[in-house]
Amino acid sequence: MHGEYKMPGGKLVVIDLDVRDGRLAKVQLSGDFFLEPDSALQIINAALEGQPEQASEMALANVVRDALPPDVMMYGLSPEAIAVAVRRALHREAEA
Amino acid sequence: MMRTDWRDHDWQLIHTIPQSPSLHMALDDVLTYEVGAGRRKPTLRIWEWAAPAVVIGRFQSLRNEVDAAAAQRHGIQVVRRVSGGGAMFIEPGNTITYSIYAPQSLVKGLSFQEAYAFFDAWVLQALAELGIKAWYQPLNDITSEGGKIAGAAQVHRGGAVLHHVTMAYDIDATKMLDVLRIGREKLSDKGTASAAKRVDPLRSQTGLPREAVIERMVATFRRLHGLSDDIVRPDEQVRAEELALGKFSSDAWLNDVA
Repeated sequence: MHGEYKMPGGKLVVIDLDVRDGRLAKVQLSGDFFLEPDSALQIINAALEGQPEQASEMALANVVRDALPPDVMMYGLSPEAIAVAVRRALHREAEA
Repeated sequence: MMRTDWRDHDWQLIHTIPQSPSLHMALDDVLTYEVGAGRRKPTLRIWEWAAPAVVIGRFQSLRNEVDAAAAQRHGIQVVRRVSGGGAMFIEPGNTITYSIYAPQSLVKGLSFQEAYAFFDAWVLQALAELGIKAWYQPLNDITSEGGKIAGAAQVHRGGAVLHHVTMAYDIDATKMLDVLRIGREKLSDKGTASAAKRVDPLRSQTGLPREAVIERMVATFRRLHGLSDDIVRPDEQVRAEELALGKFSSDAWLNDVA
């Protein structure tokens, strides 16, 4: 499942994932955003892993925000934009 | 740490013979580290390309961004760089690429948006001297009335910041669109329907050879900020070649975001 979101004034945020037993699995965030240190990518993927597929956009954004160490720098990317891309990935599959 | 200005530093220029795409990735890694460690003075490096390449950003998905079969058909190597940002389609005579390795003090207190514009102010000046009215388009583009000219990316390492930029001198848009997958979502707030139309290369805007554009850029940097000619040190070269053959040629790094 695949979702994309061009954050207004930001960069392209892409989520690829599966759903297993009603929960997010094999979550991969990608895109042309800026994120430092680069190890934060795996922290975000891991935080989203296992979240319920019914989780709201706000809940998903909070999960990402809470998982990130305070020194992480995002440019063209935000927890909210990641949450939108996740919801789009789930929504598009539902339509198909 | 006090904020410093361009003229507080003794800027060095590296502009050598063409290098492989993976060696360019490695040189950026090594030279940023050397400036951060205080073993190298702040440096401007102009790249010369030995081969065509697609350079994808640190966080881009290889399969989402690149048509691997098309890249192979065109003999184009795909490499992943250390900085974020978008994919660059590189053909040796069509691209002007440069890196700035600077102490973080140079952009201390600046927002990301301000830091990007700060690092390329000299380029806007050089373009103006060539008759091109260009400006910074946040977050990380240099653009003109005709379209996008260049894209920038930054990464911070220790006490240093790497700011590197790829400018389109000329472009084979058909080949680019064959190799890069440029989705509709990415273009959704750009106001243009065609990816090819988004780029307006320097060749058509200046009518000058690529070398003359580079010469003007170097002269402008030298006049504004000072610049001495330098080379990559032997120990830097050895380390970069190790990384080029190791990490930056490895499937693990290329597929890190599959």
